[in-house]
Amino acid sequence: MTSVATAAPTATAAATMERTSRAGRSVRTTLFYLLLVVIALIFITPYLFSVFAAFKPLNSILSQSPWRPPTPPTLDNFKTIFSQYDFGRYLANTLIVTVILTAGQVTFSMMGAYAFARMSFPGRDSLFWLYLTTLMVPNIVTLVPLYVLFAHSHLLNTYWAIFLPYVLGVPYSVFLMRQYFMTIPKEVMEAARLDGCSESRILWRIVVPISRPIIITATLLAFVFGWNNFMWPLIVTNSNSLNVLTVGIANFNSNFGVQWNLVLAGSLVALIPMVILFAIFQKHIVSSISLSGINR
Amino acid sequence: MSARRPGPARRHALRRAGLIIRIMIIGAALTLLSGCAGWGFSGSGGGKTVTLTYALWDPHEQVGYQQSINEFEKLHPDIKVDIENIPYGSYEQKITAEFITGGAPDLFWVNTPWLGTFIKDGILTDLTPLIKASHVDMTQYYPQLVAMHSRNGKVYGLPKDWDTIALYYNKAYFAKLHLAVPANLSWNADGSGSFVTFLKEATTDTSGHNALSPQFNPGKIATYALAVNNDPQGGWGNYVAEVGGKVIPYPYAPYASLTTPQMNAGMSFLAKTLTGDHVIVPGTLSGPNANGANLQQMFSQGQVAMWEEGDWNTLSVKSSVTFPVGVATLPIGPNGRVSVFNGLIDGLNAHTPYPKQAWELEQWLGSPQSQAILGRGGYVWPAIKSLDPLFLQYWRKQGIDMSAFLTEAHGQVVNFPVSPGIGDALTEIVNDLGPAWLGTEPVSTALQTAQKDANYVLRTS
Amino acid sequence: MSVATAATTLPKQQKTTAAKNTAEERRARRTAFAFLAPSLAGVLLFLVIPIIMVIGLSLVQWNMITPMKWVGLSNYVNIFEFDGFGHSLLVTAYYVILNIPLQTAFALGMAMLLNSKRAGSAVVRIICVLPYLATPVAMGVVWNWFFNPSTGIINQALSHIGITGPAWLSNVATAMPVIAFVNIWQYVGYNMLFFLAGLQAIPPTLYEASSLDGATKVQQFWRVTLPLLRPTLLFVLVTGVIGSFQVFDTVFVMTAGGPGNATNVASLNIYNTAFSGFRIGEASAMSVVLFLVILAITIAQFRYFNKRTTYEIA
Repeated sequence: MTSVATAAPTATAAATMERTSRAGRSVRTTLFYLLLVVIALIFITPYLFSVFAAFKPLNSILSQSPWRPPTPPTLDNFKTIFSQYDFGRYLANTLIVTVILTAGQVTFSMMGAYAFARMSFPGRDSLFWLYLTTLMVPNIVTLVPLYVLFAHSHLLNTYWAIFLPYVLGVPYSVFLMRQYFMTIPKEVMEAARLDGCSESRILWRIVVPISRPIIITATLLAFVFGWNNFMWPLIVTNSNSLNVLTVGIANFNSNFGVQWNLVLAGSLVALIPMVILFAIFQKHIVSSISLSGINR
Repeated sequence: MSARRPGPARRHALRRAGLIIRIMIIGAALTLLSGCAGWGFSGSGGGKTVTLTYALWDPHEQVGYQQSINEFEKLHPDIKVDIENIPYGSYEQKITAEFITGGAPDLFWVNTPWLGTFIKDGILTDLTPLIKASHVDMTQYYPQLVAMHSRNGKVYGLPKDWDTIALYYNKAYFAKLHLAVPANLSWNADGSGSFVTFLKEATTDTSGHNALSPQFNPGKIATYALAVNNDPQGGWGNYVAEVGGKVIPYPYAPYASLTTPQMNAGMSFLAKTLTGDHVIVPGTLSGPNANGANLQQMFSQGQVAMWEEGDWNTLSVKSSVTFPVGVATLPIGPNGRVSVFNGLIDGLNAHTPYPKQAWELEQWLGSPQSQAILGRGGYVWPAIKSLDPLFLQYWRKQGIDMSAFLTEAHGQVVNFPVSPGIGDALTEIVNDLGPAWLGTEPVSTALQTAQKDANYVLRTS
Repeated sequence: MSVATAATTLPKQQKTTAAKNTAEERRARRTAFAFLAPSLAGVLLFLVIPIIMVIGLSLVQWNMITPMKWVGLSNYVNIFEFDGFGHSLLVTAYYVILNIPLQTAFALGMAMLLNSKRAGSAVVRIICVLPYLATPVAMGVVWNWFFNPSTGIINQALSHIGITGPAWLSNVATAMPVIAFVNIWQYVGYNMLFFLAGLQAIPPTLYEASSLDGATKVQQFWRVTLPLLRPTLLFVLVTGVIGSFQVFDTVFVMTAGGPGNATNVASLNIYNTAFSGFRIGEASAMSVVLFLVILAITIAQFRYFNKRTTYEIA
């Protein structure tokens, strides 16, 4: 009887509620996108402004606001650092040692990982625990004795010194790839062995093709580590001609710190390749987090 | 997932791994060799020409040395010299690291803070037999320089330059005040004497009153009379010497002598008396730890009338000021007028692969012919006494009278301290004295801390 | 499965009596060691031997040119009394305290914000991770420019709203916070990814069930999200702390330990002692002490989390 009378105010109430929640939703949405923009800006502006600055002459950097793009952009800064200040050599040095480091580290870590994952031999578990415990040791602890070792082997101030401690395979890479290899069913390898495959054939022809994600991850990690490595190359190289980019940039910064145009151009020589690498491999970087299986 | 059926031949795992390893080693070796051959390794070229590396840090003096090297190469067509500039901040560390690695330059500048360490570690060649064999006349040099670079009768370098400390002053400012800068001011440890009076006359506040006037406002000082920094060479080192204090009691002493009454008196004169009289730039304005980093700028902006420093600053003073500059001698203390005296040598790498050629270069750089080039161009005071007028003439033409530095060199001087580790010890001392200069700690306490830290460094170096 | 269970479920080597098997086994073992040889050589040569060496080196006085001199444990005393290593440890701990809690909180917050299907979230997620690959030395130079008191954008922006910014890197109060900020900027995105993975592993049924029970969003966060994220939290915190204790590149390029000693972190002190001062014994003692400090903190973190971690969901 009173249903129509009560229905109307209920309907209005419901309509009001929906309107306010819609309003609330759009406020939340605006807030969300505002935050998104702020966050994106925070992470992009350092790159963006240094790119702008690297293409401006020094007086423009000092007089203009950093968010103004260079008009017109000039290549002079890069020309100067490559012709007058040896950045070409630094770049070449970095490429050489990083490629060698990466190739060796991935290959040898992969071999070790495969041995730990799917081959049986005495002492396997104890050796794996040894690898794991060395993971706990911070890098800095081995720095001084490694330097002494290299000094006595007369290897200081050579390319060898820069990549040797990392080229024979490192426990983290071994661990990473071993965990992945263990998800490959044992039957696959056993079938291949019964067919008469050698272990190395199993590794290279069977395991590697299906392990591309983890291998790409390990390669990326190794390459980025080698490219960004600073403290070790700093202490083992003396001659300018052997400097890698990080050492070259640090020296350049201490000698020419106020010449922002040159110093930022120099930094970009190191940063831009990493940005490119990131753009190409970002899917792998993001998915490698789940590959490392830390939630287990 | 498919696996290709293997052929009947099995490849040994070792062979595969070995192949990879071999390829990498060859690749690495090739890149390494290509890296070695053309890039940045000094050493002999083809044939009989020997290339020596000569390291220094001052880019201005480098111009003069290059001229001298050009002459040397004309006289020795079979020796080439590459000058390598290593910035001063990392110079000692780089030379040491390169010596450890085996690639140190054949000849390199040696400054006194690390002279003792280099001698003790065997980095420098004992030149005594070479000097005798080549009949080098050691009497042509300032005797204090030869003594500075000798130990137990062995000489480790031919002196090539010297420097003293004096007062650069702003001629325009003193002309405005109608104040002449007297030649012989004196001070006493109790703060009396013509020096303090003069400093008060030369300090003006923003209303134009000097520090002797009762209306003087120490909170609004426009120009300080004097800038002295927390430094054992260019700053307090001279004052403590003028009152009989010594940083270390004797050369190669393994401990410091900072807690003597003389050290206390000299340091207090500056950090307490003169600072309290508001006539010298306070430690807080001078730079971190009162190290004087800001003083050159203050001098060129007219905020300080007299800047106490070493003569190696002349070129940068000239290029940064707009007023005529004069140089006055240090004041006379209770023990007379004493300046800290220093000079560099070219160290001969004890492990050089070319000892004969390196000695030729060392001899040349210690010779009157080479030092005349450096003196005539106004780069440094030559260590050969008779050549000093050349340097004087050059700067007279530039409008700065440098004779005050020379007067002090011919007067009483105290050698820059020599001992293994003295460079690091002096860094500790300066750090520990900072609070005294900033007024946050009594001078005697700061000196005691400095003594403790310096003793540790000297003992373990 | 965890590392521990993985290791223990692998079968142990069996010895057989058949001659053919032994020969095959021997060949298999040789192959295995051949595969293992390079990384094992690397671990022994470049990790195990140096760790043993550094302990020995910490007991001598040596400058790499003149002979070593045995000094026993006095280096361990001297590094605290004369080399300011205690101060370095404190300064480093200060950096870790500034860096890790904020970075973890931001990473978690960003993960929760960006764990969304709305347009643009995916792009911003990727942008956040961009700094992760940045060369710290090169980035430090860029930040030097940003924080320059006169020409840097931070102070210029502040002056537009009427504030005179401090000399960020020359001021004792702001120098270390700036270094912490730089590090947070670089790694917060990367850590956010870990939290994202953790968030996505939580079954939505839990949230549905709890909201049916009347739980608010805040209560859901503390009672559902956070407990289930503890493994991720543990990982992020442990790796973050271990990494932060070794900070070097940024400090070297931006402050070189200054102003005064305000940012003279442990690794910088070790570097200067060993490779500027050539005091190998003292630097080795510092390295050992730093290692023990990091080890103690890591063990403490594990103990704290082991008491509280929820692995199972039902």
